[in-house]
Amino acid sequence: MTALIEARDLSKRYGKHLALDRANFSIESGRIVGLIGPNGAGKTSALRAMLGLTNYEGHLRVLGREPFRERTDLMKDACFIADVAVLPGWLRVDQAIDFVAGVHPRFRRDRAVALLEKTQIRGTSRMRELSKGMKTQVHLALTMAIDAKLFVLDEPTLGLDILARRSFYDALVNDYMDETRTILITTHQVEEIENLLTDVMFIDKGKIVLDASLETIAERYAAIVVAPAQVDAARTYKPFFERRTLGKTVFYYEHADRAKLAAFGEVFTPSVSDLFVATMSGAAQ
Amino acid sequence: MKNFQWLIRREFWENRSIWLVPAVIGAVLVFGAVFGHVHFGEDFFRPDGNRGGIAAHFTLYVLTAAVGASFLIVASLTASWYLLDCLYADRKDRSILFWKSLPVSDTETVLSKLAIGLLVLPLVYLLIADLTIFLMSFVLSLRVGVWGDSGLWRADIWLQTQGMALYLIATMAIWYLPIAAWFLLVSAWASRAVILWSILPPLAIYLMERYFFGTHLFGSWLAERSGTGYAMRAFHLPGDGSAWVSTTLQNGPGTETMTTPSSLWAVMDFGGFFGSWATWAGVAIGVAMIVATIQIRARRSEI
Repeated sequence: MTALIEARDLSKRYGKHLALDRANFSIESGRIVGLIGPNGAGKTSALRAMLGLTNYEGHLRVLGREPFRERTDLMKDACFIADVAVLPGWLRVDQAIDFVAGVHPRFRRDRAVALLEKTQIRGTSRMRELSKGMKTQVHLALTMAIDAKLFVLDEPTLGLDILARRSFYDALVNDYMDETRTILITTHQVEEIENLLTDVMFIDKGKIVLDASLETIAERYAAIVVAPAQVDAARTYKPFFERRTLGKTVFYYEHADRAKLAAFGEVFTPSVSDLFVATMSGAAQ
Repeated sequence: MKNFQWLIRREFWENRSIWLVPAVIGAVLVFGAVFGHVHFGEDFFRPDGNRGGIAAHFTLYVLTAAVGASFLIVASLTASWYLLDCLYADRKDRSILFWKSLPVSDTETVLSKLAIGLLVLPLVYLLIADLTIFLMSFVLSLRVGVWGDSGLWRADIWLQTQGMALYLIATMAIWYLPIAAWFLLVSAWASRAVILWSILPPLAIYLMERYFFGTHLFGSWLAERSGTGYAMRAFHLPGDGSAWVSTTLQNGPGTETMTTPSSLWAVMDFGGFFGSWATWAGVAIGVAMIVATIQIRARRSEI
């Protein structure tokens, strides 16, 4: 099948700074993809390019369109929340619904209203009167009422407390996700989303350093906790990263033979956040 | 077109001052008519009053001109500020990231702002000015006690003032397009201090021209565009043809001469305005700057 998003040699330059450096990736439909990287790695630049908010160099197709040239058409099939606090203070909730219903051919008003009825928010409230968590609920209701093929979220929970963050992701997975949709999320708080992802892309210094499904990760990566006496022996299998913890050492391997590693201890698949730390620190070592 | 209607409606939600400011001005003027001191005697309002019959012709002109001028000045100021702020404000409060997530093109967005500044806002002011004049006429007639044949209630004169107002709005929108487009360009581009950015580049061009070439071409062009140039082209000014008539009035012991338009239709100079190359040169510059504004808008996100 063809990819929903396809990027080849995608670059974005701000003056002398290369925010994206010939990045290559593709995203298939029906996936929940986490674009993960340290601050300043190029996450936001990549998303902005995909959403047509900025021009770029290289080849990029999103839903078969060139994002920068065809942003207006693209936004009929793709929607995004770039941080939650962007609904203007003067806008009333009912005006927001009216406006989106007026300009968006795939907006289902009844669905937005039903989602908002579950909350404490009144239609006559202005955004400036709402708490950040409530604004998130409004924005999410507006966006989830759009029948879009692609939903992009850029640091969606920045500045929210833990309850609001949890209910944000619950709503996303339970009320929104199905096999016809694709979600792309960036965050630097990996732990928060790793349970809902099907794929991860790690980005560092403008390049995609890892692009894999969670199944692939389970096949490809392994980790073991090794007692001090066996450290040297474990090293012969060429871990790409090691980390000392509580007197023991954790070794991370790529493409290693799990059966052989089992001699040193219990072999496990590293979590996305561990893998992220290992990959980023490993690259630095 | 449907998008455009929603964009215009959106501007009314965001900028309630579009109708609130003229509504307040109108309310103040009507309040003044109710409680203010009425200088003129009732004759002033009669068609055959003691000002040689001129009063009847002019009562509504004078009232419309006075009320209209106050609305026009405030409308120019609020429209200028609106154009300078509109594409900057949503970058500053980051709401551009919401607006750009919707299938609305940057062209539609920029043109909707231009339409508000040059056409919608002036029309709202006109509507409220009309209402103000109607209420003031009503109040003044009531206070002076002259109805029916009063100079304030002349349908033909009222029609002239409406024609004049629409002519003003249309020709000013065309003449001032380059200035409006410049404000939008600054609004789309600047990341702070829009007022300063709207003034500094023209000032720099003026000073550099003076320093390097010793000429004032840009300065005089700007002065003409924002000053006398408009009235000279759009109107027959006094002394220009048959549009103006002089009348000698008996005023107490002496006489005075009034120069007044024979009719408002006669004062409008369609040929002079639409036949002037300067009008169309301005349109061309304005269109170029609007195209540039749309390109900048497509590349800009929040500040």
